Amino acid sequence: MSPVSTSNAADRLTVEQVLLRDTVRDLADARIAPRAAEIDRTGEFPEDIRQLLAAHDVLALPFPVEHGGVGGDLLTVCLAIEQIARACATSSLILIVQELGALPLLIAGSPEQHARWFPDLAAGRTLAAFGLTEPEAGSDAASIRTRAVADGDAYVITGTKRFITNGSVAGLITVFAVTDPDAPRHGRLSCFAVEVPAAGFRVERLEHKLGIRGSPTAELTFDGVRVPAANRIGAEGDGFAIAMATLDRSRPGIAAQAVGIAQGALDVAVAYARERKQFGQRIGDFQMIAAMLADMDTQTEAARQLLYTACGVIEAGDADAARWSAMCKLIAGDTAMRVTTDAVQVLGGYGYIDEFPVERMMRDAKITQIYEGTQQVQRLVIARALLGQPDA
Amino acid sequence: MHIVVLTKPVPDPAAAAERMGPDHRLDRAASPAVINGNDEYALEAALKLMESMGGEVTLLTMAPAGATDVMRKALAMGATRGVLVSDPVLAGSCARSTMQVIAAALRDLTFDLVFAGADTSDGRGGVVPAGIAALLRLPYLSNAAKIEPDAATGRVRVRRITPTGYDVLEAPMPALVCCTQVLGEPRYPSLRGIMGARSKEIATRSLADLGLDATSVGGSVASTVVLETRRAPARGATRMVRGSADEGAREIVDLLESRRLI
Amino acid sequence: MGALWVIGEPNADGSLARISAEVATLARSVAAASGLSAAGIVVAADPAGPAGELAAYLPRVLAVTDPDAAGNAWAVVAAERAAAIIGEDPHALVILGAGQDGRDVAGSLSALTSLGILVNATAVDWLDGRPTVEMSAFGGKFVTTSTFTGGGGIVTVQPNTVVAEAATKPGSVETAAPGAEPTLPHVAVLDNVVEAGAAAPIEEARIIVSGGRGVGGPAGFAMVQELATELGGAVGASRAAVDSGWIPYAQQIGQTGKIVKPELYVALGISGAIQHKVGMQTARTIVAVNRDPDAPIAEFADLVVVGDLFEVVPALLLALRARAG
Repeated sequence: MSPVSTSNAADRLTVEQVLLRDTVRDLADARIAPRAAEIDRTGEFPEDIRQLLAAHDVLALPFPVEHGGVGGDLLTVCLAIEQIARACATSSLILIVQELGALPLLIAGSPEQHARWFPDLAAGRTLAAFGLTEPEAGSDAASIRTRAVADGDAYVITGTKRFITNGSVAGLITVFAVTDPDAPRHGRLSCFAVEVPAAGFRVERLEHKLGIRGSPTAELTFDGVRVPAANRIGAEGDGFAIAMATLDRSRPGIAAQAVGIAQGALDVAVAYARERKQFGQRIGDFQMIAAMLADMDTQTEAARQLLYTACGVIEAGDADAARWSAMCKLIAGDTAMRVTTDAVQVLGGYGYIDEFPVERMMRDAKITQIYEGTQQVQRLVIARALLGQPDA
Repeated sequence: MHIVVLTKPVPDPAAAAERMGPDHRLDRAASPAVINGNDEYALEAALKLMESMGGEVTLLTMAPAGATDVMRKALAMGATRGVLVSDPVLAGSCARSTMQVIAAALRDLTFDLVFAGADTSDGRGGVVPAGIAALLRLPYLSNAAKIEPDAATGRVRVRRITPTGYDVLEAPMPALVCCTQVLGEPRYPSLRGIMGARSKEIATRSLADLGLDATSVGGSVASTVVLETRRAPARGATRMVRGSADEGAREIVDLLESRRLI
Repeated sequence: MGALWVIGEPNADGSLARISAEVATLARSVAAASGLSAAGIVVAADPAGPAGELAAYLPRVLAVTDPDAAGNAWAVVAAERAAAIIGEDPHALVILGAGQDGRDVAGSLSALTSLGILVNATAVDWLDGRPTVEMSAFGGKFVTTSTFTGGGGIVTVQPNTVVAEAATKPGSVETAAPGAEPTLPHVAVLDNVVEAGAAAPIEEARIIVSGGRGVGGPAGFAMVQELATELGGAVGASRAAVDSGWIPYAQQIGQTGKIVKPELYVALGISGAIQHKVGMQTARTIVAVNRDPDAPIAEFADLVVVGDLFEVVPALLLALRARAG
């Protein structure tokens, strides 16, 4: 069958991580892969996959054991994302965003907030979403305009968020809003846990996208939505720092998704190259094809190894975490795009039609170069680590 | 209900990488190890009983020290704890040594039932469970398709597969039951179970702990010895026949006739 | 020198199990090579029938009448009686079948007598004053030759290793003394349930026609049975067919089922993956019918007919019947 990276010595995984990876892989192959094409074709959120992941404790992975989670570390969560993404990028987003949306709470939430929301999130009863991006604030996150005005023991939130994954299916959205417009740039924002549906909250539209079509990407309107002050995560003004810390920790999840997509495409291309015969021999024996596959495999493995190492660095709270986080996402996203494009090329005409999954994988791969910080933003992060702050 | 499940790490049959060492014994380090497939059916039966009747499931394994890794999957499936009997002296043990060591380990445990797999994918003997039962004077019930303990009466009822159907056996507990695949598919470990397994205890016992030593058990006093190993003779080339069904049928008849099978 | 013993297994209907006739035939050749004299032991509530049958193969059979053998699980009862007869002789060589009852006896007997065990023998010879036992390991990948360090031991023998052949003249049947009170606990048999569709032990069949996933269902297995009947063989199955409920587990061949070594194995709609392969790859002749020319079975079968088994098997049945007719 097709090659899968299973070298435990190279990956330095614990016995539990190996078991977990293999369990999720088997689950993805048996229950998720058969649904992937249909999810892409219909563009419908796969509620059945969400329940499958919930039932198998996959959504519980990022959450602490004391609140019903499985207590998986960053690498463990990434292993699960990678295996699901091999089969279906959309499905892997369910786990990715469950973690992303909850990360502000995991990083900066109070014990009471943890006890209040983690059980439902871990059980997959409630889905999370991350409400940072706005129509006028993508890469420039600090310039968001959504306002949260204090009013007694609550805040009133007004504004628009755009490109919010799971925005239409989530029950808890961590929303970033301006609490002090006059503060210095990085002190203007605060973060709030907003339970939805709520009065004044509306899902305006869902985007039609190039890829990850089964994932609902929503534009959300907050029209005077009241949230109790107890729902504020961290102190006023902590919002930007929370957002950046969240992204540092969630970027490996995107890298894992990208590595998974690349591996899935590679597996299809290798299987095809072994079977398809032209000019009297299997096409994998032609050097140009063989060279492409070799490069695809090498690049995917390199991205994987950097990801696994980055997870360790970030989990350890290393001062260099942001640089590692950016690097692994940068490499993985570009690799996924290159490998899926080459996979389509290996399959030729068959790669271009939806009878084979590689065209979908290529469309799915593109987003990994864009969300959670574009590749350009990743480069800025890395360069800043090398060069320090610009002279005033 | 306290059930001990005998488990053995064996070379992973799917890897098909078994190799013999220079002493004609299996080189256990050469091939990745997994829990013997048949033991998983015994474990599954034990877990189901624990879930319905309450109680605990203890794994008992005689193996090299690295076996704790292999036992983790069984713990992840839901077993309560593990006991690993390990001692360098035991390398190269024959079936008799194995019976004696496991019987000695069982003497230190309290249990209502001991479950064993039908046989192991590396040895395929299927004789050790009966020997253990005899050494401990436990009722022995084999080839089990169904196991029904009754905590109230202290007796266990077992369906034993026969060539014509099954026999219904009954014995007082504690008893030793040798299980079959018919008991039901083993569950996949849950993620929660996998992560939780690392906090479950695996107690290790050496031979000294069991009151045994190299004069009574282990490779140096093995009752059997391998004189020679060789690769099985390769089969002949395969003849592939593509054509009509009649042509295929003709080829089969010709082959059977040439080998005097019809 | 020790003694050579065969433990005969009685069938439920009072006849002698076929494996015991095979084992006895093997024991005779070991006796001839070693100079030992072979004797059989039959333990039953009424041993006369099976002991008499065993005597056709051995010069001497000890018949042990034990009422406990009826109504209790047989193997433990028989093992204890046999142990009393064999005694503490470290040079005793005990040969019996490797089926479920044989395994149960072998294990119990080893615990009672201190004799070691060699299992699933495919040959037993005599060399330099001791038995040499050939066994197949790891699904037929290796063949090992082993012996006992203490001079004597217990050997379980695979079915179909030897063709049962009666001795030139029948042996004698003696009544054996009942022996001491049993020490091993007996397990009561409350009921014997006969299930429709139960077949003779598949390990004993010389010809097996097996069905796998490709057979598609119970109706397909009716066709498999037809071919088996036409060839005078038994029906086997892969794990997939058993898991789908098309055929009982007793007929499953493979890693978690039976290991068989028939003269002819016909695999219909079976891929031949490792789990099944280890159960049948030492069959003398292997014929496969499969739609997929790249199925793993094509790597080790003697003949592979690539095609739809629902067309090939009827054609084969026609050809076989035309031959016979």
